[in-house]
Amino acid sequence: MLQKADTNFGFAIAASLGIFFIGGILTTVAPPLIDKTWAKPFSNDDPSKGPTGQLKPYTEQELKGRAIYVREGCTYCHTQQTRTILADTKRSGWRGVDSPVSTPDEFVYDAPHLFGTKRTGPDLSRVGGKYDQQWHRTHFRNPRDLVPGSVMPPFPWIAANEEEFQAMVAYLQTLGRAKNWRPDNDYEK
Amino acid sequence: MADANAQDRATEIQNVTGSAPVVHEDITVKWFLLSSVAYFFIVGIVAVVIAAKFVWPELLSTVSYFTYGRMRPLHVNGMLFGWLLACDMALIFYVVPRLCGVKLWSEKLGVATGILWNIIILSAVVCLLMGWTSGLEYAELPLPLDVLVVVAWIMFGANIFMTIATRKYQQMYVSIWYIMGTILWTAFVYLTGNFATLFATGVNQANLNWMYVHNAVGLIFTPAGLALAYYFIPRSSNLPLHSHKLSMIGFWSLAFVYVWTGAHHMLHGPISQWLQTIAIAFSVMLIIPVWAVVFNLFATIKGHWHEMGENVPLKFLMSGVVFYLLTCFQGPMHSLRAVNAIVSKTDWIPGHAHMAVLGAFSFFAIAGTYYILPRIFRTELHSQPLAQWSYWFFMSGGLGFFVTLWLGGFWQGWQWNNPAIPFIDTVIALGPVWLVRFFSGILMFAGIICFAYNVMATALGEKKALAA
Repeated sequence: MLQKADTNFGFAIAASLGIFFIGGILTTVAPPLIDKTWAKPFSNDDPSKGPTGQLKPYTEQELKGRAIYVREGCTYCHTQQTRTILADTKRSGWRGVDSPVSTPDEFVYDAPHLFGTKRTGPDLSRVGGKYDQQWHRTHFRNPRDLVPGSVMPPFPWIAANEEEFQAMVAYLQTLGRAKNWRPDNDYEK
Repeated sequence: MADANAQDRATEIQNVTGSAPVVHEDITVKWFLLSSVAYFFIVGIVAVVIAAKFVWPELLSTVSYFTYGRMRPLHVNGMLFGWLLACDMALIFYVVPRLCGVKLWSEKLGVATGILWNIIILSAVVCLLMGWTSGLEYAELPLPLDVLVVVAWIMFGANIFMTIATRKYQQMYVSIWYIMGTILWTAFVYLTGNFATLFATGVNQANLNWMYVHNAVGLIFTPAGLALAYYFIPRSSNLPLHSHKLSMIGFWSLAFVYVWTGAHHMLHGPISQWLQTIAIAFSVMLIIPVWAVVFNLFATIKGHWHEMGENVPLKFLMSGVVFYLLTCFQGPMHSLRAVNAIVSKTDWIPGHAHMAVLGAFSFFAIAGTYYILPRIFRTELHSQPLAQWSYWFFMSGGLGFFVTLWLGGFWQGWQWNNPAIPFIDTVIALGPVWLVRFFSGILMFAGIICFAYNVMATALGEKKALAA
């Protein structure tokens, strides 16, 4: 076979595409057909099965906020996934309560997905409800006023534009909220 | 293969067929080469600016167009598509006609491709700074530009395939398979990353995105880079390739193994565990094609390493092979769950990614550029010492960059895994690492200046007659 691919133009093309498509199809088309949780929105009302709650589609305002998140490239420094690593559940936790790990069914309405690859700033998968609007406004104006040592750029044009700012905060407050994971329900607005 | 590599192909044809040697026009090569080098310089400035932003976060921070989140995708896309892929295409336009013993199928089509490519890159600069992005990593370009990329790729592919189809030698040298592989796989990898993702959401979309991201490196830049290494190493050293059979094993195992590994970007993340395990298994198997290639290239140069001293292309090529080996050893290793839990999402990752794209594949492209410059412009290289300087700037800056980020990233990962350390303290701890990275970036940029000036001076300056 190797010899033939060496001299025969058509055979070389067919073989390199054929071999490529085996792995290509098995790893892209097959998995969502096998694992149904990739497409089914999270929903659980039985506390014995873990956190309860329901994933709701984004509102128009939240989608506007999400578009700003994409436009400003927030995802290049902030991941949105609490991984199956103990430290991640502690860091995403809040006030002594560990966060549940992220599951595929929490992201069904996300396009583009914002899982991220680099964590220059903290993970945001459970940030929803942790900080109130005033905190976010100050933080967008200049992150270092609230977090000395931060390297996040300031976003004065978001803080100054009321419509954009409201949309942005509305989106951030949804993050991680599908799972109702805080026992005291102490979410900030 | 020994003769084929040692001799000039054109004279060989004359011996075999008795016809006159082919005269290559190389107009397309010049278009792609000079524009790619210009983008290398321009995007190099962006690179230094974003490295500086880690140290001085207020830098240019009141102008929305120059904020980090917009300049980073410009840096990534600009370097990948404006510089590296365009330079690879220039070198492919140079290599293929020579390995086939014929002229390029159509210079007109080639020049049109070059113009279209420049339109795409310049539009991309505007779009990304405006924040018009699809939001998917490596696939940030908005949809209309994605369509133009596909058109340009078809024009490029048609030209190369028609050249290969009309070749004078029946046997195809290794570089030709890699080039054909690059063109075919890129088409499907690009369609997956930029079009299939439109019809998916959440984890499903992320899976398609990572398939694209990983194979953009693995099935676009790797085969293109290796095609060049397989051509330019025997060429610039005048040594025959060690083993034809080994090169086949490397190629076919690469074709099979690479595409399975996308999900290793989501290890421990919200994606099915069994898919993570498959990705890990295939990531480890990548050692097979890598070692087959690296052994072959090392064995080719065996006993002649000292020639790297004077020979600038060979210097870049063999350093690139070493970096290729290192980066491809890191890859499988940090696909292992235990290692991944430390290094994933840290600054280790840009260290690793830069060693692949700068250390290995850009080094191959730079070597190819130095090798073909005197041949396509029919003059001597403007300055040999400047070429040597460019090597040492890239090498010292590159090593400074890689090593600092690995150490810093590992340290950062350990800190993250101790939840008693507040997150902001892990950011502050990285301050010195980012400062060293910035200065390493300055060194690399000095390398770009020496390289780009040398290229432009050779291309546009006074022509000197080639010695014999």
